[in-house]
Amino acid sequence: MKAGRVTGIDPTGPLADNAERIVRLRLEELHGFVPAVLDPAEVEALHDMRIAAKRLRYVLEVTAEPCFGPYAAKAAKRAKDLQDLIGEIHDCDVALPRVRAEAQAAREAGAVALLARAGDAADVDPGLAAELPRADEHRGLATLETYLTARRRLLFERFLELWRALEREGFRARLEYALAERPTDGAITRLSPDDNVAPSG
Amino acid sequence: MAKARPIAGLDADVPYALAAAATLRVRAAELFEHAEGVLDTDEIERVHAMRVASRRLRAVLEIYAPCFPPKPFRAALRDVKRIADALGARRDPDVQLEGLERFAELLPAADRPGIHAFIAGIRREQADGNAVLAQALERLDQHDLRARLEALADAAAALVPVPVGDDAGEGS
Repeated sequence: MKAGRVTGIDPTGPLADNAERIVRLRLEELHGFVPAVLDPAEVEALHDMRIAAKRLRYVLEVTAEPCFGPYAAKAAKRAKDLQDLIGEIHDCDVALPRVRAEAQAAREAGAVALLARAGDAADVDPGLAAELPRADEHRGLATLETYLTARRRLLFERFLELWRALEREGFRARLEYALAERPTDGAITRLSPDDNVAPSG
Repeated sequence: MAKARPIAGLDADVPYALAAAATLRVRAAELFEHAEGVLDTDEIERVHAMRVASRRLRAVLEIYAPCFPPKPFRAALRDVKRIADALGARRDPDVQLEGLERFAELLPAADRPGIHAFIAGIRREQADGNAVLAQALERLDQHDLRARLEALADAAAALVPVPVGDDAGEGS
């Protein structure tokens, strides 16, 4: 997924003003994958959302602390949590077809050997199916496929929970508010909600 | 995994291009600091640390892209992506192997031949990934990416005019 181009960047302007533009766009891109990603079959959309979360995380890691205060730093961690969890799901999505292909290759090797054993016979004698090549691999590959299928489902449920938690937390609104903040004398204004409160003294 | 080093002097009001220069210098240095010993497949954390450093460096280049001269920027970004991809080609099988070996140990013996057959394919990928990484590391040296990144940082810093009076001699 290609990142959207951020317009209006001024290299000589303040870091916070420019970073705000980038974060706003990356945040919008992240949310652009909802509701598609709430469908477990939308594998590509989920993969793209992971990349969007990564982009948001990195820009926040670079700019949150000097520019936007505590909630933005927390948002960077939230983006990382999201990226990591979707990454685990992605690993299952990548591994599953490979395990299936390996299992298919093992079965195919057995079928080819069985045909060779049958030779010119009018039918395949069931007794020839014993101890075929790679037959000992079937069970483990089936177990691995089952494990990855179950793990994918469980991780996807966790993803849904995490996303709902972010929504309950007001992730987007709070980050957008934090972006509009600017430190005053090295502190965030006292009018800030959330953790964006100037240290006393 | 090494924690990203803080960037000295960053605040909300610092000019974007100066932030770009300072951040790029630190993240570039981190990449090269982690390059030693990454081809050793028994020490998989080294590849991980360098991969993380490459991702951070790539992110910095992309975030601050408008501060850099376009042509050398594109070439440097391409090389950073290349090394990041090469590190991924080694790291991904490293991680899979770790998980699959643990998984195989927990299963009954009858399940293991299948898992080991799958592991054999991942091991071949790890070896291929190491060859790709070796080439990419060699290319880093040949193309002197370090110096080119330093030049990008200098070019970004030069975008911001020095305030009048800042260069006044101490004795004046």
